[in-house]
Amino acid sequence: MRIGAFIPELLRHLFKKPATVDYPFKKLSPPEGFRGTPYLHPETCIVCRACERDCPAEAIEIVELSAAEKRFRLTIHNDRCIHCAQCVDSCPTDAMRMDDKYEIAAFSRWDLKAAWEYVRAVVKPKAPAPAPAAPAPSANPPSDNG
Amino acid sequence: MKVQIPIGPQHPALKEPIGLRMTVEGEVIHDADLRLGYNHRGVEKVAEGRSYIQNLYLTERICGICSHSHSTTFAQGAEILFEIVPPKRGQFLRYLVSELERVHSHLLWLGVAGHEAGFDSFFMYVWRDREIVMDILEMISGNRVHYAINTIGGVRRDIDEAQRTKILDLLAVLRARTSFYLNLGTTEPSFVGRLAGVGYLSKEDAMSLCAVGPTARASNVPRDVRKDDPYGIYDEVPFEVCTADTCDVLGRTVVRIKEVLQSYDIMEYLLRNLPAGPVAVKAPRRPKPGEIVSRYEAPRGENIHYIKSNGTDKPERLKVRAPTLGNYAATIAMLKKGFIADIPLIFAAIDPCICCAERSVELVDSRSGRPSVVRWSELRRMAGRRAARDSKKRNVEWPL
Repeated sequence: MRIGAFIPELLRHLFKKPATVDYPFKKLSPPEGFRGTPYLHPETCIVCRACERDCPAEAIEIVELSAAEKRFRLTIHNDRCIHCAQCVDSCPTDAMRMDDKYEIAAFSRWDLKAAWEYVRAVVKPKAPAPAPAAPAPSANPPSDNG
Repeated sequence: MKVQIPIGPQHPALKEPIGLRMTVEGEVIHDADLRLGYNHRGVEKVAEGRSYIQNLYLTERICGICSHSHSTTFAQGAEILFEIVPPKRGQFLRYLVSELERVHSHLLWLGVAGHEAGFDSFFMYVWRDREIVMDILEMISGNRVHYAINTIGGVRRDIDEAQRTKILDLLAVLRARTSFYLNLGTTEPSFVGRLAGVGYLSKEDAMSLCAVGPTARASNVPRDVRKDDPYGIYDEVPFEVCTADTCDVLGRTVVRIKEVLQSYDIMEYLLRNLPAGPVAVKAPRRPKPGEIVSRYEAPRGENIHYIKSNGTDKPERLKVRAPTLGNYAATIAMLKKGFIADIPLIFAAIDPCICCAERSVELVDSRSGRPSVVRWSELRRMAGRRAARDSKKRNVEWPL
């Protein structure tokens, strides 16, 4: 046994640079695949509501604005979001994605809400695919002819 | 003269709210009593209203340090109810994260032990090295604390070859650092002197009070779910159950350092023998009706989840027994005959995670083991009897 076995280790580190960074001035970049904040890619959303159903924090809300126009509003309540990225996993059309922002504090929880208003997409869906796809070719040939 | 000292619910020595009531004579603790229930969150009730996939993230939030333990315990149980088996690669990755979590939890504890023992430079260096584990976890899962790597039927993310080699390199660094701390324990007499003999828990007490995890293993009880009732891939992974026979805080420190070294071995085995293939299978939404008890060796000890399914997409009942709850009875035995100054160290030595253990509130009389209600009239009669018996107090003069 010897007294002060840790002292050489401490002295060695006097000449090393610190293990931490000066945070607000210097920032570490998050790794690839970092789970930041979810956002919607409305062009591919087919409103299957899988994200709304699977969200553990019930942070996703989908409201139908107009049944005729098939317009919907998707709100992500980021004040409730727990950043688990389950919505990204549940999404069948890759419409939900995660960014890599990590400084997401706000002064009010209302500032944290993100909403998208969009028309339901028809990207290779199962049941509603033939219905909008069928009129499209039939609509095009007359215009070509005319 | 016996004095009762309340420590907590809010106290600088405690990281989380818990009420400790010590009956002391001078500096020596004669009796200790624990009051729980300051951090009850109703997780079990919330779980009854959520689907299995949502509950995976809910159970992860039972604990901030062993988050993966709870979600794995839940996923293991749910997978049996769903009658699916995760693929081999998925299991290897799941238990790789388990072992990483064990390393990060034990290094965190070592730092806390150093801090409570008054060895703050040790605390800072250990926590600096712990950042390596946190970085690995962030790289694998995308987050530092709540990894959310589990899904019912496997894991959610795969690792590639570059990540695999990087983890192996970082593990070599960690192994060198941990060996340094292991040697430090034998060469730093003041640190050893502070930990030795504090919080004695005999082997018989550890057995009879059902201590779990490193607390039991430090009292030479080789109790480890990974060995006793192997789940997942632990029946094919070679490792040893680490024990110590000093039965004190020093033993708990040694057990944890040894376990960290064992975890490196397990992780290297998992990474070198990582099978190819998918990481998850698709799970149905509704399990068959039934019930299951799932066991898991968390960093703090045995973690138990009981899940009852009624055939819907939500569990009918979820019961969680966090390892800290299993160690409370042993803590009382450790505190007895100890010194007041050792309370933070003894209490920290079980690595308490109080909000994990807050399932139900139970008030137990420390002597008889059952709560008692005394009537006002009975109290007055007792006071009269006591006054008659105690003749000295009768001729006490009013001081003013």
